[in-house]
Amino acid sequence: MSQLSAASRPRLRAGCRLSESTQQGDVLLIPEGILRLVGPGKKILERCDGVRNVSDIIRDLQAEFPTVDPVRIETEVNTFLDRLHQKGVLDIG
Amino acid sequence: MMASGPLSLIAEITHRCPLHCVYCSNPLEMQARQRELPTETWKNLFASAAKLGILQLHLTGGEPLARADLAELITAARQSNLYTNLITSGVGLTEERLAALVTAGLDHIQLSFQDSQEEPANEIAGTRSHSLKIELAHHIKHQRIAFTMNLVVHRQNLDRLPEMITLAEELAADRLEIAHVQYYGWALRNREALLPSRPQWERSLEVITAARERLKGRMRVDFVGPDYYAKYPKPCMGGWGRSVILIDPAGRTLPCHAAGVIPGLAFDNIQDHDLRWIWEQSPAFRKFRGKDWMPEPCRSCDRRTQDFGGCRCQAMLLTGDAAATDPVCTLSPMHGIVEAIVSSAQQQPDWIYRIDPAPVA
Repeated sequence: MSQLSAASRPRLRAGCRLSESTQQGDVLLIPEGILRLVGPGKKILERCDGVRNVSDIIRDLQAEFPTVDPVRIETEVNTFLDRLHQKGVLDIG
Repeated sequence: MMASGPLSLIAEITHRCPLHCVYCSNPLEMQARQRELPTETWKNLFASAAKLGILQLHLTGGEPLARADLAELITAARQSNLYTNLITSGVGLTEERLAALVTAGLDHIQLSFQDSQEEPANEIAGTRSHSLKIELAHHIKHQRIAFTMNLVVHRQNLDRLPEMITLAEELAADRLEIAHVQYYGWALRNREALLPSRPQWERSLEVITAARERLKGRMRVDFVGPDYYAKYPKPCMGGWGRSVILIDPAGRTLPCHAAGVIPGLAFDNIQDHDLRWIWEQSPAFRKFRGKDWMPEPCRSCDRRTQDFGGCRCQAMLLTGDAAATDPVCTLSPMHGIVEAIVSSAQQQPDWIYRIDPAPVA
């Protein structure tokens, strides 16, 4: 299997899409499943456009949240994307 | 107990079906075409469902393709922002019609297969459909849509599991769902021929575990076991009246596919009440919601909030009491019933096929 790396350009796979629900907040709708997005999940996924790579996404978020520890942002993005990739939700190009 | 909001709507839009599967999960008494809800009623329902907080719609049947208004229903569902899943045998789905359904906004198609090989697949379905499905799978891959290959497994085909996984890889499914037959509806009639042996079951677990690891990130592999071999029962429907509403072709609302087997339950019709009232007030949905109905050992069991006492319909079918602990649970005082069934499972099938719903006289 191909691994997610800094150069991967992730995007949501067909049939996986972001949505909002009054009861659940931000959610990712996937085949036979609903993933509730907490913390930066939605902001990360909005940047998964198949153009930006993982490094770009991390840099983007570091610029948007200058008061947050940049190492923490990097770890959170990697952990989050890795988990979604294992669930089969991402194309990693 | 107060109801939390439902998340999924299962819409059985028709019971008509070109297949005659020996394990059909539809109720034994099906709704005839003349009683099917009209297009507008379904469309209004989808809007009410979204208002109630429902996020996902599963269009199923019977064979949902038998409804000529399917694309219109999908368009309406997407306008209500529902995630739309089509559960289909694929029979009758041309490349053109598939494209129309995707254009209408379909998110996910779940195509059922009966086997990896043509002959046994057609035997199970009671019709020639396997090669059509293979062709359709190739068309699906040309669309931007999630593709689940659903394989129903049982005693007669479980040994071909590695071959089925290979087929799913060849067809490039995004998700593979291997689901053991569950013993309700028509499947209960054929149970002795369908229930796998214990060694067969244990081998299949090894195959699945290895495939999951190998395919991680490429193809999601979901597996539903035969619960007669489980230690604890399945959390049926995620708990009675907890997250799912099922609506049958005639508009009856049910907490699950099989709930019709439970005597004394009246299923309110969507033509008489609105969806919110049904979810919150309908006696059928309240009957086994929460834990007040539970007998021992469920009532004091640590697992009562995980498996919710198991399946009410299975309790009914096997013990004659819908409020009993699901007898597949090894803690159930009635578990001996399941042990006896497992030890008497036969070798050679003698299928009982079902036929289409009878027209109203």
